[in-house]
Amino acid sequence: MRRLLVALALVLSACSATSDGPTTITFWDNNGGPGRTPIYQELIKRFEAANPDIKIEYVGVPSSSVQQKYDTAIAGGSTPDVGGVTTSYLAHLVGQDALEPADDRLDNGPLKGKLLPGLLETVRQTAPDGKLYAVPASGNMDIIWYRSDRFEENKISEPSTWDDLAKAAAQLTKPAENQYGFTIRGGAGSIFQLLSEAYSYSGVEKFYDGGRSTVNDPRNAELVRKVAELYKKATPEADVNNNYTQMVAQFTGGTVAMMHHNLGSTADVMKALGPERVGAMPLPKGPSGKRTVVPNPTDGFAVFKGGKNRDAAWKFVEFLTSAESNGYWNEKVGQIPANTDVRGAEWIQKNPAVKMALGVLEDPATVLVPAPVYLPEYSSITKTDTEPLYQKVLLGQMPAQQFLDELAAKLTTAQQDWEKRK
Amino acid sequence: MRTRTWAPYALIAPTLLLMAVFLVYPIASVGWFSLRQHTVTQPWKNAFIGLENFRRMLFEDPLFWQSLMFSAKWVVVEVGLQLVLGLVLALIVNETFIGRAVARALVFSPWAVSGVLTTGIWILLYNPSTGVFQQLAQWGIGDPGTSVLGDPATVFPATVVTELWRGVPFFAILLLADLQTIPNDLYEAAAVDGAGRWRRFVSVTLPHLRDAIVLSTLLRAVWEFNNVDLIYTLTGGGPANQTTTLPLYVARKAVDSHDFGYGSALTMAGFAILLFFSVLYLRLSKFGSRA
Repeated sequence: MRRLLVALALVLSACSATSDGPTTITFWDNNGGPGRTPIYQELIKRFEAANPDIKIEYVGVPSSSVQQKYDTAIAGGSTPDVGGVTTSYLAHLVGQDALEPADDRLDNGPLKGKLLPGLLETVRQTAPDGKLYAVPASGNMDIIWYRSDRFEENKISEPSTWDDLAKAAAQLTKPAENQYGFTIRGGAGSIFQLLSEAYSYSGVEKFYDGGRSTVNDPRNAELVRKVAELYKKATPEADVNNNYTQMVAQFTGGTVAMMHHNLGSTADVMKALGPERVGAMPLPKGPSGKRTVVPNPTDGFAVFKGGKNRDAAWKFVEFLTSAESNGYWNEKVGQIPANTDVRGAEWIQKNPAVKMALGVLEDPATVLVPAPVYLPEYSSITKTDTEPLYQKVLLGQMPAQQFLDELAAKLTTAQQDWEKRK
Repeated sequence: MRTRTWAPYALIAPTLLLMAVFLVYPIASVGWFSLRQHTVTQPWKNAFIGLENFRRMLFEDPLFWQSLMFSAKWVVVEVGLQLVLGLVLALIVNETFIGRAVARALVFSPWAVSGVLTTGIWILLYNPSTGVFQQLAQWGIGDPGTSVLGDPATVFPATVVTELWRGVPFFAILLLADLQTIPNDLYEAAAVDGAGRWRRFVSVTLPHLRDAIVLSTLLRAVWEFNNVDLIYTLTGGGPANQTTTLPLYVARKAVDSHDFGYGSALTMAGFAILLFFSVLYLRLSKFGSRA
């Protein structure tokens, strides 16, 4: 018996002893694809050169299925060491107790005080305990891409209010030539875009007022009606089913002159049309004249509790969010760098969309109205439950106010549950 | 003599084991989940809740009834049209004519195409700026930019046509195989008795095809009821839930919203309905009781 114990102890100590070979950690890119994978591969090469004792195994996961992949990995105990995450499903991962908080590591590491406070805040908001479960790397903002060449041809200036936009959209619509002024995202992912349009227009400064959702504010409903009025008059009929891919294809293919999306489509848009034919503008204001912005989900890196090499994992996260890597990455994808040391970089001056977005975010008059992406039900409410209802509004089968009332009721109940659990 | 008592059991044991693993266990686990609140995103709420999911489904969820009605409409229209068109095709390629082999191969080819690929083809055909309807609009038929999948009035026929394209060959194959087993002397005898083409069809062909028709409609009805791939990829159940079948609704609840409890309850409802109709259908058509 004793011999067996000794043998067991030997085996155990052999396991825990540091081996001579490099430590391997797995990294899941939450938006893998031809656009981003090469950027990460370059960064990983740099990291491995600087840290020969750590090897990174890169796994690119398509963004459309990443949440499911994480769920499966958590359920099966096969999570990566480091994963790219956005705040839109961060709460979901925190709810399953899968992530390690980053607060202590940040306070005692090189990134202390280097990250944009606004982005840190959006990450913290997603956790019921207010801890930081992901290190923000990249900010995003909703914008409207427009065909500056067509605007010029038709002598239209950049619209700053929603009514100007609607007028321009009507002017640029020529169905016989297969040209439309605007495109509505009516299919998958529609609700987030609609809400950011609505709050930009209404000037309502809080998503919740006294625990009740302000989504059904009459001014928000007014905007939804105005969008629905554009459907088929200044947009393709197919827009009711429009998802991201179809919408971008319409814009880059030249069918539509304006498209509401965010900085995330920069690479696609620029590659297809080039800076000489495309401009970017903030979402138009409404009659209040206030600049209210629903911030887009923040992208960042999380370390999973299930990983065995957490020190190495954190080292990699710190490397990815360092000024050099963070600047390189955001320059390539055209988004807002979280590391404040990057902000003076030359490329930001040359990228009109990022510069414009930074200008809006840094303007003291801008009010941020964060959507409750931290609610565990948020995705099921805004996708499964509400996307079909928005299609009804577009098709004229449901009044805008009733649609927003139903959405607001669900968001209010979910928020109350959340408050109780805090 | 002892071997006699256990040998039969040993021989059927693998079958029983496989059935237990692949049939009994999954059904039982879905049954168990249907009695629970089970949402991946809110694990703290998971609990046994008895029949609450079913109460919510039957009394508070208009989309359940809507999707069920749509499923019924979908199955009846699809299977009915596929049977008729499949029979017509089978009769045509059963005749002797020049190029019959090529015609048969062409008739059956859509069946070899997967659902998602079928969608891919038809999405291109329906594309409002490059597809068939854009071409028609250029010739002055219809409006430019017509989106048949975006218009609630046309989305159902457009989806039906897509599935017909793939489903008709299934009936054609099965019925043709059965047509070829009908002895020719029956037709000759009927012709001698003065039966015309229609009479021969009704009195010889149809009775002979009865089993094949029953079997294929039953199979097809179950498959069409459970059809997710084609509708999901073609319309996603939209616009505005117009083409949401019950299984599609299950997929949305369970897979997209992670609500496995309620999704399981919906699945049990579908299971019960299919079971009931399968038994009823087999009874009514007295399948297998022919002497």
